Amino acid sequence: MNAMIPLFVIVPLAAAFFMAILGRFIKNFSKILLNLELLFLSYLALHFILNTQGILAYRVGGFENAGDIPIAIYLVLDGLSRLILLVISLIGLLAAFYSTSYTRQFTQERKYYILFSLMIAGMNGLVISGDIFNIFVFLEIAAIASYALVAFGIEKQQLEASFKYQVLGGMASLIILLGIGFLYWQTGTLNIADFSRLPVSGPFVKLLAIFFLVGFGLKAAIFPFHSWLPDAHSSAPSPISAMLSGVLIKAIGIYAIFRIFFSMFALSYEIAMVITVLGTLSMIVGGLMAIGQWDIKRMLAFSSISQMGYVIVGIGIGMILLATGGSKVIAGFSIFGGLFHLVNHSVFKGLLFLNAGAVEYATGTRDMRQLGGLAEKMPLTASTSLTASLAISGVPPFNGFFSKLIIIVAAVSAHFYWLAFIAVVVSIITISYFMKMQKYVFFNTPQTDYKNFRAIPLPMNLSMIILALLCLLLSLLVLPQIRDIFITPAVDALINSLQYTAVVIG
Amino acid sequence: MVIFQMLIFFPIVIGIILFLLPEALIKIKGIIALLVSGYGAWLAFNTFNSTSGLYHVQCTLAPQLSKYLQLNVDGLAKLIVLFIGLFGFLYALYSLAYIRKGKSVCGYFSWFLITLGSALGAALADHFLFFVFCWGLLGLTLYKLIKGDDDESASAAKKTLILIGGSDSVLILGIAFLYKMTGSWIMSGSSFTTSSALANAAFLCLLVAALTKAGAIPFHTWVPDYVKHAPASSSAFLPASLDKLLGIYLLARITMNFFRLTGWATLLLLIIGSLTIICAVMMALLQHNYKKLLGYHAVSQVGYMVTGLALGTPLGIAAGLFHMVNNALYKGGLFLTAGSIEKQTGIDDIDELGGLSRVMPLTFFAALVFAISISGIPPFNGFYSKWMIYRGIIDFGSGSGLANKLWIVWLALAVIGSALTLASFIKLISGIFLGRLRENLSKIREVGFAMWFPQLVLAAICIFFGLFAAKAVIPVLFNFGAMADNSNLAGLWESPQVSLLILVTILLGVIIYLMGNPKKHRISDSFIGGEKVQNELNFLPSDYYKTIAELKLFSFFYKWAEKKRFDIYHIGKSIVLACYSVGSKCHSGILSTYLVWVVAGMAIIILILV
Repeated sequence: MNAMIPLFVIVPLAAAFFMAILGRFIKNFSKILLNLELLFLSYLALHFILNTQGILAYRVGGFENAGDIPIAIYLVLDGLSRLILLVISLIGLLAAFYSTSYTRQFTQERKYYILFSLMIAGMNGLVISGDIFNIFVFLEIAAIASYALVAFGIEKQQLEASFKYQVLGGMASLIILLGIGFLYWQTGTLNIADFSRLPVSGPFVKLLAIFFLVGFGLKAAIFPFHSWLPDAHSSAPSPISAMLSGVLIKAIGIYAIFRIFFSMFALSYEIAMVITVLGTLSMIVGGLMAIGQWDIKRMLAFSSISQMGYVIVGIGIGMILLATGGSKVIAGFSIFGGLFHLVNHSVFKGLLFLNAGAVEYATGTRDMRQLGGLAEKMPLTASTSLTASLAISGVPPFNGFFSKLIIIVAAVSAHFYWLAFIAVVVSIITISYFMKMQKYVFFNTPQTDYKNFRAIPLPMNLSMIILALLCLLLSLLVLPQIRDIFITPAVDALINSLQYTAVVIG
Repeated sequence: MVIFQMLIFFPIVIGIILFLLPEALIKIKGIIALLVSGYGAWLAFNTFNSTSGLYHVQCTLAPQLSKYLQLNVDGLAKLIVLFIGLFGFLYALYSLAYIRKGKSVCGYFSWFLITLGSALGAALADHFLFFVFCWGLLGLTLYKLIKGDDDESASAAKKTLILIGGSDSVLILGIAFLYKMTGSWIMSGSSFTTSSALANAAFLCLLVAALTKAGAIPFHTWVPDYVKHAPASSSAFLPASLDKLLGIYLLARITMNFFRLTGWATLLLLIIGSLTIICAVMMALLQHNYKKLLGYHAVSQVGYMVTGLALGTPLGIAAGLFHMVNNALYKGGLFLTAGSIEKQTGIDDIDELGGLSRVMPLTFFAALVFAISISGIPPFNGFYSKWMIYRGIIDFGSGSGLANKLWIVWLALAVIGSALTLASFIKLISGIFLGRLRENLSKIREVGFAMWFPQLVLAAICIFFGLFAAKAVIPVLFNFGAMADNSNLAGLWESPQVSLLILVTILLGVIIYLMGNPKKHRISDSFIGGEKVQNELNFLPSDYYKTIAELKLFSFFYKWAEKKRFDIYHIGKSIVLACYSVGSKCHSGILSTYLVWVVAGMAIIILILV
């Protein structure tokens, strides 16, 4: 079983190389290969979730530990990484399927799929890496692929966005690398599990924590490090925006932060508090900035910042409780809320970006002021978009309702009354801007007669329908039986973070 | 208990199945919806007659769901369920004729049935999560029952869902506070005095949700906008009936079950109630779109219910709930008549109508009954419940708190509100049904059976409730809680006898008229100082109360109201947009600024932590 763990990286990497070589000669090869690859990865992730439990560790090359010191590169699969892998592959699959029609407008389709596959490889690799340096390497693979994908349209706006993204992303990488160098200089180890059992403390650890927090915070677009995101996510081709907002910021940002601060460092109240405060600020700033936007995708991008705030707040409250020795039940409940919202967000935000892509594909614009009345012309896009909008605004019976409810109830249970109040206010702001989008894009009287209207091809529609159904079906994750399969292992992985070291090294 | 599963989930499931039928078969969908809602009404009636208690719905598909599906069938819930069932059936019948293919809301009957099921679920739920789930679904169906195909109706839909959805979030917060205090999700649990900070916060949050749903000041602003643009059957179904029933239901639960109100809470509720009565009716006076006029009255009447429930005495609670029932009856009926008029004439402005009593006699009769009821004229039901409220306020005045001392204020405002209601319905009735029949309207015909029947049924219930309130209605409907063994609820008003006297007087008048040999009269034009009668001489109904608007004191408020400065939605919107404009100045798009942010952010974190 463990031997299959490297496949998460090998398959997308190999596929990318095949696409680069064979895709040149065989028409549609890259498209089909990417879809097959992601289908396989989804199956694999699901297989791991359903059939394995606990923490699985794989040593690349099979090097045994030298005494107590881990030499090999560790690939570790615990509850949290399984969940994130499933999200990556599933959203990736739907975005890739959607791309098959969407990318016809590009001249270099093949390169798009190669970069897509590399991005998947980077994210998967980051999620299963057991040491901080490999996290960095895979982070760079994913990030550099995403820089190129943001600029894929090569218009002025896209290039500008990509440039900003590269500069700030480069800064993030620099800070992370600085932290890694610092770490190695002081302790001589890069292995997460190995580090966590070292008796280190003092300002050195704090400085290190800050380096990682800022570095990965930049990747996760937490306030005040979010400034690159609205440009980058709105300029990329829509399926890529769906991947960036739906998956990438979670895998290389949120996941990395929580992996590091739960498994590597001892939980500290100060860090947890900083993370929670930053999450709250992201929630507010993202929401307030989204409401004034007229570009659909820009609005969605700001909304991602805001919704990531909810995820961070949910997990952050759990962290604070665990660090201060509060109730483990409430901590688990809160972390469950955060992770549930993470999964939900990847589904509905992915869907919203695909909807925005469909609107742009059909009408050639994504400025809300130039649209209107599309509910009659594209009923499928309209209804899926309404589904996603209501889901993200927390209206029952969709998934977002339950995750927001859990986060609010957890915040109140943990005595964070003001935080719960802010979450409610931001939730009202969220429903406001999504209703604004619904009104201007799908209702209203049309602003133009849509001369160049193009019908949406089947693959695009199909992806959107599946995601809309997922918005409804994921509500079932609140039921204990289903929750225990998918999310509870991830929550347990975070709560019992000490096991990580024990299993990996021991 | 099979009956409750069917009651709640059967309409929802059928509603979802109806989505699969194409829109072209809308008649068939309508008939299915009618059958389902008829069955629902029958089940609701059975529920009303069943014994009270807690029930568990056994869910065979997913047994773990049963925990959430605990139902609390007590007197209040049974009352609400009975009327939801009744309205569901009547409005389904009305919609059958009113909703036409292609012109109306997409999937109307599906959403109708889902609304019905979730409203019943919300009324019966005993588990907070199930309650808030159903409650939230109603916001969604409200949004889907209006067609946003032009700018104004799209704005109304947007505003409605923002306010309703926002209040649902606040409700969740309130429930979270309650959960924090009790550690349980069960609604029929212990109750709290509104004295601790947490209890106060929970009380206020739940209050916001109830008032928004019912449409009381300051959260009412979605109601007039929504009813102006939505199909009349949607307006009658949700804002006029179900949302009132459920909003007041939640308020009743808050005041009777969840909390024991202390002085300030009572005072707050009384202020809200009185302000709602007066402000909304003042706005209604000046409307000339009859649907919007009804919308403001839908708000104004909520004030009476809030006032009644705020009193907290058995009489006050019974009065508030009875007024809730009465209001749902006549306000729903008024929206149905409005829909009939709109369907037959295509006009929604009072100024352009007139004289329709000749061509639409049944609708006229129903509208007249509803108008008299809502204005509180004896012996109709609206009078009875208002009279109970007045009595309740007077009794309440004997208490010692600040709110009790001010009883004369509450009473005065309630009475003035009732008078103004009458004034604005004089305008409505005379503007639409009386006066000369315009030539362009002379070909109008009465609506069909499916549309007049529900109107007349509601009118008949209004009369019945008015005549037999003390004998047959109040003892049957309000025999739970503190009202159970209170024989004084009905008071001294002997409705049947008085009505008999009125009837005798009318009969005598008719006899005298007939004895005067009416066939032998001559017809001539009205004499107005030798001038010829011309159409231009007619007063426009919308000018009736213009003088009020021109009074110095009021004109100021009306101007502000016109600029929407009292609208909480617009206040919130301008605050948020102001924040946005500050934020957008910071997001300048200049890379070096962003780099400064990163460095500054990092520096601040270092300063805090190290």
